[in-house]
Amino acid sequence: MSDVKKQVRSFVVENFLFGNDEGLKNDMSFLDEGIIDSTGILELVNFLEEEFSISVDDEELVPENLDSIDNVASYLERKRT
Amino acid sequence: MALDAGHNLVHEFLEKSSKNYPDKIALIQNDDRVTYSQINNQSNRLAYWLITQEVQRERIALLFENSLEYVAGYYGALKAGAVVSSISTDIKPQGLEYLLQQLEPKVLISSFRFERVLKASNLQDTSLKALVIKKPRLDWSSEDLSAFTWDEIISEQDSENPSLPIEDSELASIVFTSGSTGKPKGVMLSHENIVSNTHSICQSLCITKNDIQMVVLPFFYVMGLSLLNTHFSVGGTVVINNKFAFPATVIKQMVEECVTAFSGVPSSYAYLLHRSPLADYREELKSLRYCSQAGGHMSRSVKEELLRILPENANIHIMYGATEASARLTCLEAEQYKDKMDSIGKPIPEVTIKILNEKAKQVELGQVGELVGSGPNIMQGYWNDEKASARVLDENGYHTGDLGYQDDEGYLYLVGRKDSLLKVGGHRINPQEIEDSLMETKLVLEVVVLGVPDELLGHRLIALVTPIGEGVNPNKILEKCTARLPRYKVPSKIILVKVIPKSTSGKFDRIKCLAFIKD
Repeated sequence: MSDVKKQVRSFVVENFLFGNDEGLKNDMSFLDEGIIDSTGILELVNFLEEEFSISVDDEELVPENLDSIDNVASYLERKRT
Repeated sequence: MALDAGHNLVHEFLEKSSKNYPDKIALIQNDDRVTYSQINNQSNRLAYWLITQEVQRERIALLFENSLEYVAGYYGALKAGAVVSSISTDIKPQGLEYLLQQLEPKVLISSFRFERVLKASNLQDTSLKALVIKKPRLDWSSEDLSAFTWDEIISEQDSENPSLPIEDSELASIVFTSGSTGKPKGVMLSHENIVSNTHSICQSLCITKNDIQMVVLPFFYVMGLSLLNTHFSVGGTVVINNKFAFPATVIKQMVEECVTAFSGVPSSYAYLLHRSPLADYREELKSLRYCSQAGGHMSRSVKEELLRILPENANIHIMYGATEASARLTCLEAEQYKDKMDSIGKPIPEVTIKILNEKAKQVELGQVGELVGSGPNIMQGYWNDEKASARVLDENGYHTGDLGYQDDEGYLYLVGRKDSLLKVGGHRINPQEIEDSLMETKLVLEVVVLGVPDELLGHRLIALVTPIGEGVNPNKILEKCTARLPRYKVPSKIILVKVIPKSTSGKFDRIKCLAFIKD
């Protein structure tokens, strides 16, 4: 697993899953699986902006970019290249 | 208005619509379209199982996201004669343990989404006898508690309405309010409270069976739940979308499903205006009959912008309410939106509002006092808390804690909370006024003004601000602010944030905001 993916995963596990990552797959939809709710997505956006020094544009607030660990990792990769 | 005969219990909304419109779509979620008779059958099956658990007049806790199961669980528990308590979906283990100790429910109904919270909570030392989980993924066999899956208890049961003898004065629901300070309080609502308020809201907004309501607010919050009850009472349709974090998906679905109504709290509208393609869809939202807003004060600048961006066919209704009033107390009719933009309107049918001074005497027109509401929708009191009940309920009705006045045409205006005035230097300051001024700068998407304790001044004002666009900095905002506000009302500090901490129902979480400032 890439470092970026690990970082995102540990943020999700610590902040939304009480440190328990049992059954969490990197391709699971945050919202459909109830891993993160709507307000949590915005907390995730805050984390990404601070941790990876990027700015998430409003048009980028779509499930394809932000609704799973895999999606977030590939979004970050695109943003940073 | 007299209530319909035989239509005085909350679950009879579903039973009546299932009888009148069995094949009509009641609920849409993702690709699922569910009819009234399907939901009624599922609720009945759950109710029969619950009856075997001897839950009549006992409490049942419902910890569920907005879904078909929430709806079936809510009406099913009521059909079984139980008192339903919906729990906030962002509850943490400690909070859940506290609520379960207070509530002493016999059964808890939940889904796999909350299994981690449930596992992390100590459920052994509570009154729970049974746990029902939809599609569990963790192993519950070793727990002392009897655990059932939703699917096993829903199958192979009778599906006639149980029609237990239940009085409309009996408790239907206990709703825990978030409360800006202190522990949550359980608001006790009877069947009559909820049924009468549901009818009043339907009348105010002219809701009919042709209405299709987009629901992005959680059902555990009374405003969200009122959307379900109002539409089920007339045979309308609700569209559940739990992805408001991605507002574009909500707007697209509103177009696809020909939605006629959208309801939100102020932050919902701030996001729709500034973080979604709402303006691009203006022409396509042809079916949208109205948008309603409640859940706190929305600034004038957002209201004006909404008027500009929403399609002409969409009216805007500003509403005001409280959990203690079942849901709503007032409504501003759409025709008055432009002229009385700052008003919360007039009381809805069956509700009376008085404005009282500290001696419980009615104030003169135009004078500020506390809004006190009365009517069949006012709660029975707070669960297990007679002292707190006595503080807010008396012969005049429910003391809202909100300060406001009435104009000479009877329209009501709010000016702030009784307990939120901040002492800064020698001045008493209403944070709402400063928040409005900051919004007027047009540089700000959302703002919350907080008082941080200060040895010299009493409080220092700090504003948490979500800026609009890239180039906005605190100095730019302060510069515009000083032109609008006297020196002592200008915040001593402005902190820019991407998101202001909120609860799941979209309201600002002032405790988290203060913690954020301390960090």
